[in-house]
Amino acid sequence: MTAIDTPPASMPAGALAAHTDGAIKVYGSGDTEVHALRHVSVGFGKGQFTAIMGPSGSGKSTLMQCMAGLDRLSGGEAYIGDTPLSSLNDKALTLLRREKIGFIFQAFNLIPTLTARENITLPLDLAGAKGDQAWIDEVIATTGLADRATHRPNELSGGQQQRVAVARALASRPEIIFGDEPTGNLDSRTGAEILDFMRRAVRELGQTIVMVTHDPVSASYSDRVLFLADGQIVDEMADPTPDSVFDKMKSLGD
Amino acid sequence: MSLLKLSLRNIRASVGRLMLTALAITAGVGFVAGSFILADSLSDTFSSIFESAGSRTDATVQLAELAFGEDDRTLSDSIIAELEALDETAEVRPTVTIDTNSSFRPFVVLDAEGEEVIPQGPPIITFSWDGTEIEDQISLVAGTPPNGIDEVVLDSTYAEAAGVEVGQTVNFVGPDGPASFTLVGLVEFPVTGGAFFVIFDFDSAQVLYDKVGQVDTVELVAASGTTPTELIAAAQSILPPEAEVIDSEQAIEEAQSGFNDFIAIFRNVLLGFAGIALFVSLFIIYNTFAILVSQRIQQIGMLRALGATAGQIRLSIVIEAVVIGLISSLVGIFAGVGVATLIKAGFQAAGGFPETGTVVTTNTIIISFAVGTIATLFSALGPAFSASRVSPIAAMRNEKAGGSSQRRRVLIGSVVLALGLLLLGLGLFGSGLATATLLFYLAVGAILTFVGVALLSVLFAGPIVNFLGRPEVLGSSLLVLGLGLIALVAAGSGLPDGIVSTVSFVIKMFVSGVAIITGLSILLSKSTGRSLGLGGSAGGLEGQLAKQNAARNPQRTAATATALTIGIALVATVGTVGESLKASFSESLERGVQAELFIFDEETNSAFPGELADQIAEIEGIENLSRFRFNEVRLGVDANGDDDIVDIAAFETSTGESLINFSVVEGSITDAGDSGVLVFTETADERGLSVGDTLAVDFPDGESEELTVSAIFEDNSVLNSPIVFDLAIYERHVTNGDDFFVGATVADSADFESVKAQAQAVAADFSGVSALDNDEFRDGQTGQIDGLITLINFMLSFALFVAFLGVINTIVLSVIERTREIGLLRAVGTTRQQMKSMIRWEAVIVCLFGALLGIILGVLFAWAAVTAIPDDIISTLALPYETVAFAILVAALAGVVAASLPARRAARMNVLEAIATNS
Repeated sequence: MTAIDTPPASMPAGALAAHTDGAIKVYGSGDTEVHALRHVSVGFGKGQFTAIMGPSGSGKSTLMQCMAGLDRLSGGEAYIGDTPLSSLNDKALTLLRREKIGFIFQAFNLIPTLTARENITLPLDLAGAKGDQAWIDEVIATTGLADRATHRPNELSGGQQQRVAVARALASRPEIIFGDEPTGNLDSRTGAEILDFMRRAVRELGQTIVMVTHDPVSASYSDRVLFLADGQIVDEMADPTPDSVFDKMKSLGD
Repeated sequence: MSLLKLSLRNIRASVGRLMLTALAITAGVGFVAGSFILADSLSDTFSSIFESAGSRTDATVQLAELAFGEDDRTLSDSIIAELEALDETAEVRPTVTIDTNSSFRPFVVLDAEGEEVIPQGPPIITFSWDGTEIEDQISLVAGTPPNGIDEVVLDSTYAEAAGVEVGQTVNFVGPDGPASFTLVGLVEFPVTGGAFFVIFDFDSAQVLYDKVGQVDTVELVAASGTTPTELIAAAQSILPPEAEVIDSEQAIEEAQSGFNDFIAIFRNVLLGFAGIALFVSLFIIYNTFAILVSQRIQQIGMLRALGATAGQIRLSIVIEAVVIGLISSLVGIFAGVGVATLIKAGFQAAGGFPETGTVVTTNTIIISFAVGTIATLFSALGPAFSASRVSPIAAMRNEKAGGSSQRRRVLIGSVVLALGLLLLGLGLFGSGLATATLLFYLAVGAILTFVGVALLSVLFAGPIVNFLGRPEVLGSSLLVLGLGLIALVAAGSGLPDGIVSTVSFVIKMFVSGVAIITGLSILLSKSTGRSLGLGGSAGGLEGQLAKQNAARNPQRTAATATALTIGIALVATVGTVGESLKASFSESLERGVQAELFIFDEETNSAFPGELADQIAEIEGIENLSRFRFNEVRLGVDANGDDDIVDIAAFETSTGESLINFSVVEGSITDAGDSGVLVFTETADERGLSVGDTLAVDFPDGESEELTVSAIFEDNSVLNSPIVFDLAIYERHVTNGDDFFVGATVADSADFESVKAQAQAVAADFSGVSALDNDEFRDGQTGQIDGLITLINFMLSFALFVAFLGVINTIVLSVIERTREIGLLRAVGTTRQQMKSMIRWEAVIVCLFGALLGIILGVLFAWAAVTAIPDDIISTLALPYETVAFAILVAALAGVVAASLPARRAARMNVLEAIATNS
């Protein structure tokens, strides 16, 4: 198996929303040492919808968490824009997440005690920012939540909840949005609706999205799929279809 | 939307979980507020009474404060006529009075059966009254004022208590034996403090109180056109130097200062217990917030991922704590009104307490808010910090961990414990420090020790709980404790008399009965594999699950148990110190007292006329008899610059050591004669005295004598006077002829019981005085310690109540937290009954752990205290086995009660919903 790195140099400067350079992540030490990432160098272009795939334990979630400034690398460097994350302390990293990164989680997504609109503006509120109200209204309208804005999460369906999560990620117009199995908890029809919406955000709003998934159908909504195995990028695919992704995954699983 | 909103929403979402915590804070604050409210209400009532009374008097004449050696000074009643003659006076109201400080016995009413009617605790106050009613001070509610030597007036409460009516001839026991007066009227006072009043007219009182030619105070009202200042100047000019004239303000102040001091002490004692209750609630608040944080760990992680800084997370928890603190404090202030009313009612039922309004001052409100809010905030700080350390990835993992790491806990715990023990050591054994400093060290040391043990108990909570939860251990300990308690109760007091002891007897029997049956059932089901059906057995599966649940989260178990530990530790400390004090006291009495009959006033320890001893001495069979009198003399400062004025005792030295054992080191007691003195070893050392030396003594009457040291003695525990000499010397300087104590031995040839009966008959003619044998004397003396222990335990029960809330709180929270697990257990076939008993046994095991830890800590504290307290007060360590057994069993029972609600909740949970629960 050959490791295929995507060297950042191959992209024009300023065109990358995020990239890593020789990223290493090791958990534990001694006998229990686990190498989750082995020298991963990868770039994510602006306005691109990238899916990261790989079998369980391949390091795809670790890669996303370290890229997103949720966890720290053991070696190498991760950049959001031109900012090297290892140079930031916890506070600066938090502010960076707040201002430049959006998240869509698989579950435990919304604060149950806040309304849909309050959940959407939560990152802005945490920053003490007013936010662009017209933009927020537009996001809410686009996500079809206009008549649900004052409802609490437990009054919303699973798909509606995840649309709130997408809207929240979009509300602060981050440079990049990371999704952790964003449709993992949804049925296929609702999942398709969310993925469709994410693709529209990329196409129409120029949003950059990086999404971790294990579902070939989900991955097919992206512009580009990265395949991880054993902590390394082993392949990538442009303009994926469910079948081509499925075949690739099968070959990786063997 | 802001953090505040998020915090408020979080509170609203967890209202159920926070309810018990809020209740614990409310209880603590309520006790604090109640202490202030009660004290302020009392002080307000007294102030208004004194002020309105004072406003009707312009000046008061009284005897100037006595210096040492001026004991014999009195105020001559000739000043009354002189004062009346002044143009500046409109009214002159002389009074003679006796109070409890005087050695004079009051007149005590006898009821129809001839029994003395005395107030519970407060004294009988006797004074003279000219019949002038004074608003807010004294009012005549029936009959006429006293007029003449055969007329008396009582306060209506006293008349009611004695069952006597106006017009009736009432029998009394007075200073000189039985006497009768006609009850001509009844008076009432706005505030009595529970005291009874016996009132005569001025001339009669002078005769009856042995104060002929004397007056105690004279109240003056200025003639119209005369200012109080002019009145005082005029009075001063004609009065002898021993009289002083004070204006009404000073009089109010003097009258009030005693009360204010008393109220302040009363308030501070209450606050001390309130502080303990509050301290216990700190652990509960901490526990609740720690659990809330761990339950919200995913939410916190998500907030962190979305860009909430560590500080914002911390702040959101802090806001939550402050809001809960504020709300609970507000409720606490209202609860304080209830607490004040409750304590007042308690005291009123127990013996009398003035009727007061309810005064809630701004101060009380501010202090209550501050105390409640700061306490809540302080306890939530730890959880707030551990919340801020939650990693953003927690949002993506289904993790439950949280809280600080074990290593850090143990490290902090060790440091805190070491610091606590150091302070305790300094407080107990440090010399050359002020008492206040020592007490401060002790208090802070005890608090730190508790916190340290609480933190460290994580280390051993698991193994101990595992051990305790083993059916054979649990069963046999319950059985042994139950049997032990029955044996101790039966051996101790025998059958109960009185309501309080009956109730306590029944409760103890019930508790030990339950313990024995439960213990047996556990042991039997262990050996037969079958439960006796007593709510599921600890030996069965549910018992083992319960044990594992308790052992699984040692941090939680330790925190729950700690609240209980503090309460039980304090009870154990008080019990052990008290028991040791009793044992030491009883031992020293046994060693030091040879007398077989004791005649004294058990209630007030005040003196009685010398005729009593004369009559006792005449009883056939009395062998050695001595009166004992106590006073003070001035010796001049010793080598350390202390003890200028020391306590002395005087008795008939010819009786030698036949009544009191002095443990003479050198010389002989019977050598003392009428110019010898016996000196306690320590005093002899400090003053460089040995047998044959002379000692210059200044007596209270101002005279001096040179006495010769005839013996040095070692045992001062009975008389508690470092200087002892013969009565002959005493009588040369103190002439009133009253005795404080009479001791006697009975000849072997005589019938002891008949001699005792005769002595009792003689004593009956002197109010309050009783004749006791050796056992009765010792029981009476040690019984006072029991009373004090009961009172302290009563006050501690508040802290125990808060601890009990804490146990319920943690069990409720852990049931909520384990919803999914409970659903799973039910799904795989656990019956509701098994579910309930699982929760119940878990609570019992945790409570037993807390109680055990408490007993160990309490006994350790008590041991330290006993070691530190000088040997002449406490010399041996004695354990209160009955209290210990009772406390452990009650704790176990409290576990069952505390678990009943959460157990029902767990048993009724909808299985499917429970399994579907995510967090």
